[in-house]
Amino acid sequence: MAQTMKNRWAGLLLLVVILVVLALLPVLVNNYWLRIATGALMWAGLACSWNMLGGYAGYINFGHSAFFGIGAYATAILMGAEFAVPFLATIPIGTIVTALFAVVIGAPTLRLRGAYFAIATWAFAEVLMQFATVVDFTGGTGGIGLPPFLNERFFYFAMFAAAVLTYFLTWLLFERSRFGLKVKALRDHEPAAEAMGINTSLVKLQTFVLSAVVASVFGSIFAYWVTFINPKSVFGGDITDQMVVMVLLGGLGSLWGPAIGGVALFFVNRLIWMYYGDTAFYIAILGAAIILVVLFLPNGIAGLFARRSGKSGSVLDTVLGRLLGSRQGGRS
Amino acid sequence: MSMTAQAPAPGDQPILFVRDVHKHFGGIQAAAGVDLEVGRGEIAGLIGPNGSGKSTLFNLVAGMETPDRGQILFDGHEIGGKKAYRIARLGLARTFQIPALFENMTVSGNLLAAAAEGHWHGAQQRADETLALLHLEPVANNRASDLSGGQQKLLEFGRVIMRQASLILLDEVTAGVHPNIRKIILEAIARLREQGTSFFVIEHDMEMVRNVCDRIIVMDSGRVVTSGAFEDIVQNSEVMQTYLGRPQ
Repeated sequence: MAQTMKNRWAGLLLLVVILVVLALLPVLVNNYWLRIATGALMWAGLACSWNMLGGYAGYINFGHSAFFGIGAYATAILMGAEFAVPFLATIPIGTIVTALFAVVIGAPTLRLRGAYFAIATWAFAEVLMQFATVVDFTGGTGGIGLPPFLNERFFYFAMFAAAVLTYFLTWLLFERSRFGLKVKALRDHEPAAEAMGINTSLVKLQTFVLSAVVASVFGSIFAYWVTFINPKSVFGGDITDQMVVMVLLGGLGSLWGPAIGGVALFFVNRLIWMYYGDTAFYIAILGAAIILVVLFLPNGIAGLFARRSGKSGSVLDTVLGRLLGSRQGGRS
Repeated sequence: MSMTAQAPAPGDQPILFVRDVHKHFGGIQAAAGVDLEVGRGEIAGLIGPNGSGKSTLFNLVAGMETPDRGQILFDGHEIGGKKAYRIARLGLARTFQIPALFENMTVSGNLLAAAAEGHWHGAQQRADETLALLHLEPVANNRASDLSGGQQKLLEFGRVIMRQASLILLDEVTAGVHPNIRKIILEAIARLREQGTSFFVIEHDMEMVRNVCDRIIVMDSGRVVTSGAFEDIVQNSEVMQTYLGRPQ
């Protein structure tokens, strides 16, 4: 018990130190590194949003970039000359649109078993990307520009605030509340969760909408930050792929795993870019990361630091079991 | 002896009333007009050979399956075809033949998850009491998947305790467990029964059936063959023929 308390205080102290360093980062590094840190915070937040459904509820979403893209396009379109909505006002509008999409897509697809949900979400993102390519109001394949606001510190602190809020929300809802117990229960055994009175359809949908809305917020900030988006840059399947690998590497279903995996892989991406001027090699790194996790790190990097009483099973086992239809995760 | 086929009068209702329930899977008739009832405060045992429809009946009562036709009343509420979570919220809890634990959660987490819907007030205290009652305190912070088979049965039983249910369905809860764990479960059942909880128990262990159940219901080929006190059942040559495959 004393050791547990000691570990908790040490963890809290580490968290405070990290937050202080992150808050002071703009005065510690130049704009180049600040831009990289902004990207790292975005990926840490996006990975966390994917982990809400994939890690805590056990439903693999291969179309999560759709919600990132909806947020990005909502901000880009609303900030255009036609509407001229202030940036901060575009975020809640983007989240409402995203939530509506998530409800419409999630209500039927979350009833699907095994790999069918993953396939349906992948198809949803592909449809949205094609849609954004052919309609005029998105700028089609040519993309859409936003009013430039060249203030790296603003975007750094925007991503920082969004990431801190995302992790606080995740801790509160998934680690410290009844809601989190319900979500994890349905991940581990859906029929048993129903037998405990849990309306699993509703809880899954709530989790899906929450994860979508968080991705949408990061999409909004991203669009304003980069000042130009096109369908591939915000709906592309590679965006979801990166989130998945970041979570797997960091630790599926853990609070800090997505942050560890997100920051680590994004820095690897930038280092490869700096030294080779190309990120093609990065794809190979992602593949290697998946192999590493499946073979040696089922609980991810975060699992190396977690106190485990035994060696049986992992969240990855459970989630893969659901994906392959060999577990009681799905509705029977 | 067939069970009562008339709907019970208000005020004299059994906790569970099943009438003419049918369920088929393809060409297999898993329930072929099941009639039975479980009284309030009663511990009713359900026995029968493999494939007789016992687990299907449990699934129908708990909302895991929808009956093709027939009536299922729980505490006066029609529950046939209702969703499992709605039936659970009415006060019915169940265990599964193979323990259906939340394997990545701790033992304590499993107990708290069982109380997350509807019975949250005082849940932590009740979880602590349940851990003590079932001798699971030393493994409270272990992952459920790290438990032994017997401890997993205990934990699943603990979850139904946390539900504060008025009727508990137990599906072979003592099958294959160490005698010490069996004793713990039987003591807990007795204690809950004193508090007014009713039980409907699938069990192959005749010793447990005799010691625990007030009444035995025998199923075969999707129907209730007979019911009565254990002593009467074992004297019934038809039952011994169907259940044990030999005449007495």
